[in-house]
Amino acid sequence: MKFIMNYIRKEEWSPYVAGVLLGLVGIAAVWASDSLLGASGAFENLAGLIGKAVAPAAFDNMYFNFIMPPGITYGVILLVGVFFGGMIGAATSGTLLWGKKGSANSDEQWKRIFGPQVWKRWALAFIGAIILEYAAGIAGGCTSGLAISGGMLLAPAAFLFIMGMFASGIVTALIIYRKNY
Amino acid sequence: MTNYILALVFGAFFGFSLNKAGLTKYNKIVNVFRFTDLAVLKFMMTALVVAMSGLYALRGLGLITFPNVPATYIVGNIVGGLIFGVGMALTGY
Repeated sequence: MKFIMNYIRKEEWSPYVAGVLLGLVGIAAVWASDSLLGASGAFENLAGLIGKAVAPAAFDNMYFNFIMPPGITYGVILLVGVFFGGMIGAATSGTLLWGKKGSANSDEQWKRIFGPQVWKRWALAFIGAIILEYAAGIAGGCTSGLAISGGMLLAPAAFLFIMGMFASGIVTALIIYRKNY
Repeated sequence: MTNYILALVFGAFFGFSLNKAGLTKYNKIVNVFRFTDLAVLKFMMTALVVAMSGLYALRGLGLITFPNVPATYIVGNIVGGLIFGVGMALTGY
């Protein structure tokens, strides 16, 4: 028991242990609620909800009417859980930086490559997030919704997606890091 | 309603495992593309293996039916993946 408590307090688990935990959660999600774990779909549901309220004409199309209907879906609630789960994880290891100085740009490696400015961090995160969400829309899911959840059902789509993801991820990292790759 | 509570609990465990594996950090995500830290791959593949063996076993026993499997449309999946990788290496999502 003491061993388990100590392990929970550790900041970084073995990826294998954390992976087993996620695998079990994935099984439980299918068993108990007949749903897959995913993240990107929830943003589209929320975007649809806001879009329908602000500009109903622009959002009155196939995509938001049928493929990704707006609303507070299972995925949205799941995302709220992910947020708090991540916080709990950081809190148990004492690394929760909420409201602390320098928490807006805290990654040493990021600072080494791009510089210490907070606005840069936020701007890049914003642009990158647009790319991510757009790509997830095309592919039909993100790392969690398609690659992991699809992969555990042995969906071919998941493995095609992982292939593409790594191919361009490696190239992008090469371009960003150049000599430091 | 119970479904929403379940979603909250599963989400919390999901986020917890991501955090403990270090996948909430920029350097973990980008370093897998530099081949200096393969934690992301180890984590993803372990989760995949555990979940797929569990799910197929449960389906074999007739305890569960699969939810709608993500659709395969080759061009969409690959192009989406290619664009996704750019964003992933850029932000460390």
